Amino acid sequence: MVQSAKPISSPVPDAWYPSLAVLMLAVGLVITASFFIYEATSSSKSRSLAKEVVTGAVASVFLGFGSLFLLLASGVYV
Amino acid sequence: MGRFRFDLLLLLLAVHWGPALSDLVISKLDRRIDLTSQIVRMTISLKVENKGPDPVSKVSLTFPEHQANNLALLVAVSTEGKGKTRGPTTNLPIKINQPDDSPPSLIWYAAILPKELVKGESLTIDVLAVFTHTLRAFPEKITQSEPQLFLFQESAHFPSPYKVKSQSMTVKIPSENIESYTKLENTKFSNSEIKYGPYENLPPFSYSPVIIHFPSNKPFAVAQELIREIEISHWGNVQVTEHYTVIHGGAKSTGEFSRLDFQTRPHVRGASAFRNLLAMLPPRAHSIYYRDAIGNISTSNIYGDSSKTLLEIEPRYPMFGGWKTSFTIGYGLPLQDFLFQSEGTRFLNITFGSPMNDILVENLTVKVVLPEGSKDISVSVPFPVKQSQETKFSHLDIAGRPTIVVEKINVVPEHNQYFQVHYKFSNISLLTEPLMLIFGFFSLFVACIIYMHADFTISKSSASYLAKLQWDEVLGTIQLLQDIINRCLLVHDKLEASLRDLSRTGDVQACKAVRKAADNLLKDLSKESKPLLSLLQSSPQAAHIFPKVEELVVKERDLQEKIMLKHTMVVDSYEKKSGGRDIENRVASIQQKITVLKQEVDDLVEFVEDI
Repeated sequence: MVQSAKPISSPVPDAWYPSLAVLMLAVGLVITASFFIYEATSSSKSRSLAKEVVTGAVASVFLGFGSLFLLLASGVYV
Repeated sequence: MGRFRFDLLLLLLAVHWGPALSDLVISKLDRRIDLTSQIVRMTISLKVENKGPDPVSKVSLTFPEHQANNLALLVAVSTEGKGKTRGPTTNLPIKINQPDDSPPSLIWYAAILPKELVKGESLTIDVLAVFTHTLRAFPEKITQSEPQLFLFQESAHFPSPYKVKSQSMTVKIPSENIESYTKLENTKFSNSEIKYGPYENLPPFSYSPVIIHFPSNKPFAVAQELIREIEISHWGNVQVTEHYTVIHGGAKSTGEFSRLDFQTRPHVRGASAFRNLLAMLPPRAHSIYYRDAIGNISTSNIYGDSSKTLLEIEPRYPMFGGWKTSFTIGYGLPLQDFLFQSEGTRFLNITFGSPMNDILVENLTVKVVLPEGSKDISVSVPFPVKQSQETKFSHLDIAGRPTIVVEKINVVPEHNQYFQVHYKFSNISLLTEPLMLIFGFFSLFVACIIYMHADFTISKSSASYLAKLQWDEVLGTIQLLQDIINRCLLVHDKLEASLRDLSRTGDVQACKAVRKAADNLLKDLSKESKPLLSLLQSSPQAAHIFPKVEELVVKERDLQEKIMLKHTMVVDSYEKKSGGRDIENRVASIQQKITVLKQEVDDLVEFVEDI
């Protein structure tokens, strides 16, 4: 074994995974809800594509990281 | 017993062979053979002396072919000096070195010396040889209540190619009971040890067969197949999964098995069986499981401290001779204990063999699954193995994970050494998994957006479709109008607030400035609302709601005028420096109307919102 070797650990401490999962999924779901409320309430004339895409993108970033941390917290190390 | 006839032949051959290698002389040779487990361990400590004129660079060790075939491990260590002045030990490299004219029944190994041995010098070499499948059950088949007996054959004289001045052999058996053993001159049996020798001045290749027949009820756990899968996740885990196929490698069980007998007197009626296996896992192992094809096996225990984790597992049934079971154990290990970085490459440093105590693994396959995107992979194992590479598909993979497959036969606990897998991996590749998830969710949203924007009507000219289009337009217009009215109401609030500020600070100029801005904004808004109103008026779909909307607009304008009036009055009064009470009296009637109008506007706004 090489003496100068340094141990590698995960970029985020594993103890944070459950709380990160809950937090990010909660935020993601709230933004998803607002996206669908906007889709359902606005009429096709007054709907703005940019707003839809931005809301969707932000929601998917939170949901994506949230579900990743959920997988990690539940022991599925991807 | 054909082997013994062949041994005689060996002896005859040896007589002719002697002189060729006689430069070296072994002045003292001690052998200890440990038969206390299924794996036979032979430690040979020999002192070689160079009597010839030429320097010698290697020492040959010979084993009969039947032993060499079962040789799992051969290690030689040389020590300079003796007793208290013992110098540092050196590991000697060993290779097979078969002379052309040697009989094929003898396998030669050469231990390469660190430096040449010149005339008159001597050196102490310690050799460890580990043999598997050397103990033969005799009788081969036993019933549940019979003890297990084994035969062990060896030569009391080590078949060395050199002259041996003095040698002895000690055999340790598991208990003090023994069935029989070959008695030669100088044979002593005491305290579960049989001692042969010392024998003086033996020629090369001397051979003197001995047979020891002894009982042993040690667990003969043999893993016919073990697949260890080590999966690295840079998110903080090394997951080890081990698939075992274990057989009891001792005397075959014959006759019937009585669970009742076994349960009541397990040490008599089932002495040859083993009930459990003990695995020594690394410290901080977590998420440990033990299962087989039909599910979880609940008979397991974990004990642990800061230096190790002990896992005790019990198969579903006691293991008798020839009985077989297969199961899987798995555990997670913290990444920082096993994965290291040096000079730009990463390497995994983990033990090679099975963590089970005293298990013999006939076929071991170690698979190291590296994360997707690993490059420049190399493996360093401290002993010869068969290597190959494959790809494994797991969670969230596109190209698959590069997997190193290392195979070795006859693995004994001594092989449980650290090995390294070096590879290159960039931390950016760590983000591919979350990016895939994000892309997945985003495509869902995009699908929703496309669905909401797409028009799936087949008949574009049908009456109901046109009506729906018009209704959408009406709804859009109403939404815009509502927006404008809300903004008007905000302006009203701002005006009221400015009045309150005025009463507090008396700053008339500021109040006037707010009024001017409000005037402009309201003018713009009313301009904006005009085309929308006319659009609503012209639309037949809006006929039933138009009166309400119009009323809302009218009422709002009315409210607007009243508020302006009030504002003007208050500001004027301040300019004329009227008293507070006076102003209140003058404004009171307007204020009343404003309150009523506000209520009406609020109701109408609510109605419009519900459309």
